[in-house]
Amino acid sequence: MVVNLWNLVFLFFALLVLLSAVGVVAIRHPVYSALSLLANLCITAVLYLVLMGAPFIAMIQVIVYAGAIMVFFLFVIMLMNLRKGEYEERIVLWRLLLGVGAAAVFAFQVFILAGEWRGFLPPGAHGFGAKDLSHLIFTRYILAFELVSVLIFVAALGAVALAKKKL
Amino acid sequence: MGVGLFQYTVLSVLVFLLGALGLMIRRNVIVMFLCLELMLNGVNILFMALARCRGSVEGQVIVLFVMAVAAAEAAIGMAIITTFYRNRGGVGVDRADLMKW
Repeated sequence: MVVNLWNLVFLFFALLVLLSAVGVVAIRHPVYSALSLLANLCITAVLYLVLMGAPFIAMIQVIVYAGAIMVFFLFVIMLMNLRKGEYEERIVLWRLLLGVGAAAVFAFQVFILAGEWRGFLPPGAHGFGAKDLSHLIFTRYILAFELVSVLIFVAALGAVALAKKKL
Repeated sequence: MGVGLFQYTVLSVLVFLLGALGLMIRRNVIVMFLCLELMLNGVNILFMALARCRGSVEGQVIVLFVMAVAAAEAAIGMAIITTFYRNRGGVGVDRADLMKW
């Protein structure tokens, strides 16, 4: 049996993604949980870059997600400066069982649907870059693009209005 | 036999489910928010895989939009969490019991 090298690469990074995702859920301390999510996002960016041929999205993932959003999270967590008693929580057994049950039902439904999907993904780094994306964004999706910029502006205003002590 | 769409779907659904599971079993507002980001990341993986499989750019455009909306959502969410922490003196969601009967 010939082992395809791309399969091994995919398996390695997929396992790392899943491991860091488990870390986000399972680690008690919020800072370590956030760092685990940071690892997850960076490894996903590697997956995009190496296997899916999307260098632009990989860069945006690292800069926007791992750079801006996660720094924001860590900043807020460290601003609150939670002591040991404040972030500890009891994991109730029935809540855990209910969560796992609901997740299992959802996974079952999705895998019944996705069992028919036999599409092939050509692995490799040659795909679409910033030029192709911007061509589409500034022609067909120009309205959505402008609306997203308005949304971010309004969100920044709303964040200031919410977090202010006295308005 | 290469890596197909099915393998990427499994990866994406598992990441999404881990996020949903964390949202259900954790009681810390900040960690619940992190799990929300994890769910968004799982959806992004599926969009990217579909774009690659169909050979079109549109999935990547949607991923860009998801990232932008996630940034806006993170800003609003963190402001809400800061206000919540200030008013309720903690980050456990069990403290949000004003409308509990």
